[in-house]
Amino acid sequence: MSEAIAQWRGFKAATRLGWKISSNWTQPLIFVIYSVLRPLSAAFILVIMYRVISGGAPGTGAYLAFLVSGVAFWSFVQYGFAGLSNGIVEDRGEYKMLKYVYTSPAHFYVYLLGRGLAQLASAAASAVIVLVVATVALRLPIHPLGVNYPLLLSASFLALLAVIGMAMAYGLLLLQAVDAHGYGELGSGVLYVISGAIFPITVLPGVLATLASLSPLVYWMELIRRSLLGSQAIRMFPALSDGDVMLRLVVTTVATLLLAHLVFTWADRQARRKGLIDMESNW
Amino acid sequence: MDIAVETKALRRVYRSRRQEVVALDGIDLQVRRGERFGVLGPNGAGKTTLIKILVTLLLPSSGEAFVDGLDVIRQFREVRHRIAMVSGGENVGFGMLKVREQLWMFSQFYGMPSAQVRRHIAELLERLGLSEAADRRVSALSSGMRQKMNLIRGLITNPRILFLDEPTVALDVGAARDVRDEVRRWMAEDPSRTVILTTHYMMEADELCDRVAIVNRGRIVAQGTPAELKQQVQQDAIVDLQLSPGNRLLDALRAVDGVAAASVSEQDGIDRFSLHLSSDAALSGVMRVVEGSGRQIRGVQKREPTLEDAFVKLVGRGMAEEEQA
Amino acid sequence: MNHPSAIRIFFKTIVARAYPRFVGSHRNLTWLVTETLLPLIGTIAMIYVYRALHAPARYLGFVVLGGVLLAFWQNVIWSMATQFFWDRGGGNLELFAMAPTSLAAILLGMALGGVYMSLTRSAAVLLVASTLFGIGYSTASLLPALGIFVLTVCALYCLGMVLASLFLFYQREAWQLADALQEPIYFLSGFYFPVRSLGAVVGGLGSLIPLTLGLDAIRQLVLPGTPQFVPLAWEVVAIVVQIVAYGVLSQVSLRYLELQSRQDARLILRST
Repeated sequence: MSEAIAQWRGFKAATRLGWKISSNWTQPLIFVIYSVLRPLSAAFILVIMYRVISGGAPGTGAYLAFLVSGVAFWSFVQYGFAGLSNGIVEDRGEYKMLKYVYTSPAHFYVYLLGRGLAQLASAAASAVIVLVVATVALRLPIHPLGVNYPLLLSASFLALLAVIGMAMAYGLLLLQAVDAHGYGELGSGVLYVISGAIFPITVLPGVLATLASLSPLVYWMELIRRSLLGSQAIRMFPALSDGDVMLRLVVTTVATLLLAHLVFTWADRQARRKGLIDMESNW
Repeated sequence: MDIAVETKALRRVYRSRRQEVVALDGIDLQVRRGERFGVLGPNGAGKTTLIKILVTLLLPSSGEAFVDGLDVIRQFREVRHRIAMVSGGENVGFGMLKVREQLWMFSQFYGMPSAQVRRHIAELLERLGLSEAADRRVSALSSGMRQKMNLIRGLITNPRILFLDEPTVALDVGAARDVRDEVRRWMAEDPSRTVILTTHYMMEADELCDRVAIVNRGRIVAQGTPAELKQQVQQDAIVDLQLSPGNRLLDALRAVDGVAAASVSEQDGIDRFSLHLSSDAALSGVMRVVEGSGRQIRGVQKREPTLEDAFVKLVGRGMAEEEQA
Repeated sequence: MNHPSAIRIFFKTIVARAYPRFVGSHRNLTWLVTETLLPLIGTIAMIYVYRALHAPARYLGFVVLGGVLLAFWQNVIWSMATQFFWDRGGGNLELFAMAPTSLAAILLGMALGGVYMSLTRSAAVLLVASTLFGIGYSTASLLPALGIFVLTVCALYCLGMVLASLFLFYQREAWQLADALQEPIYFLSGFYFPVRSLGAVVGGLGSLIPLTLGLDAIRQLVLPGTPQFVPLAWEVVAIVVQIVAYGVLSQVSLRYLELQSRQDARLILRST
């Protein structure tokens, strides 16, 4: 069996495993309801917050679309980042199988990519349903035929690479802790604040705004809104063209992946040196 | 006769959408006060289900059960004051607590006075050789130490009836002996105390129990003292035959004239056949079958019957074979 | 046979079950990071949403007070409602159920142990967020506000006991159910906006959760200008009624749970 086939099989098994863990606890319909309940509620919270302040003034559609699109696509970060990094810790602490995966011929990267892909599949379902429901319910200015799909898909592809890279590195870092409960959510919480998902990063104080401008997520959010809403999008970077924003997304994604690789390699070495892969931990 | 535990036609069926499993199928049992009573059987025989019903964690599907004269179905709250259960391989409690803290915590669920219970814990830790581990976190204990701690948890609440569910499973020889010794000592302190022990270790039941019930597939197939049970195979000659590995031979041996029962287990790469022969003459038939099989004989010896032999005689096959069935 | 009284066992159980939580929070300090930073980040994110909308200062206060009570809801969901489910997985539930104590005492003990963490978390949100964003509160009605806070927490824990019985009927989906009781409840309880904005029907539905009315009442007392959902006195009465109703319901449901679980082997079947 060639090496490539072995890795492909490992990848498929990891994807299948990740999907089963996240979805096979219930019937498909209940799974879909569960998947959209949280992001939909989060969107409605923001809608009410906005309506309370704006009082339904003209031009509300664009701002609501800004909020809803941010929440809908945030599912990818929630599932991809918190889900995958928690999954690594969970594989060690609860399922006690990390050591077997780690020592299998499938490359650890490949396994984690597979697990991450399963998380993103859940997120995609959630994002689409939230977007459709909110667009119809709130009459948002999003028209399926007017969406710039190439821009949306290429930006999302890059951003999700960055998300999975960050999640892998963060998950490996979490192996250092005996009790890493809640740290996945903590990490995604920090990203939430500096991603421009629910408010423009211009309201952040100087240091946080600078930090946010180094994150690929903020350019991704900008491109999502531009691709969905076109000229009606509320822009965080009005001075930048679509190409400029894409260029920044590419640069920050590459930088993030490089940094993630360095952190992953360091954390991996530490984990092996300290015997953390099969450590008894709290879960 | 003073009865500590009694069951009448006890039956328990586990139902799920796909299947129905009869775990207990009409168990009639009487355990006398002051007895060390063993429930012996292979995995899946229904031993643990029986214990869970008696300790009020599970309701029977039908039948009755009484513990210390109290109905476990209706008077379960009162029953709980009088019992304790310790299961083998248990990993319960809170890893970040120290051993003595964990023991104290469980005692409080029984309303024990703290000062008295702390003294009692110290005594028991000393007796079981755990004094040095008293201030160690539970998560740092070895499995042997953990099981001793679990036994102490069962003893500190001063139960009248102690249920031990496979208490020495996965323990090394020394730790298992310590657990058995402590059970004996605890019983000796007060003759009104009763122990019900489930196990699939024949030696343990033989060594520790005054009386034993052999359970298989949810039914009691025999009960009595270990000596009485072994008596059932006393007329047979028990021969252990050690053979090199090879083709399946058990059915051919069972078919030999004069072989009343046979079982096999594998140990260190050698098949150990245990044969119940109604007469010594049957041995020549056995040898012919062995020679025909091409297997090499590594050893033959006649020995005294054990509870395992009684089980084989009663059920028709060995415990390991029964578990796989 | 003489044995300790039920009331003695009840109180001893509460103390004993709170003990590991209390001790654990001192021996393993990692919770401090997640328990304080995570809600703080969530609160700050919502404050920035209002900032971006140029909302009046009291709206930032709404978010902070929501964040304070959110800690208790999280404690009820993760440390009380789901607790029997986790305990069953670890094998502890068998030992709790087999002891001559009550499951309500076990749950109260867990909640008491968790209050310490929740208070730390609430205090961190209140102090840090209020200081960072310069949010002021009226102290004229501080005592009544504290009283309502205590009543709300009591009602919340009674509801938590009802939920705990419900959760034992779940297997792996228990985690997802607990997860689903987050944002939807933040929405229904008006954690980040005035409850009145929900309207009579949704607000009325949300009021089944004690947090909704408690939060609105506390906001009315310490943040002048809060749009009133229902008059303060009604809210207090409703919370007291909820304490009684959920208290009684919890006892009934726990008894039912115990009987049903003995029937269905739910006390002994472990799930992951």
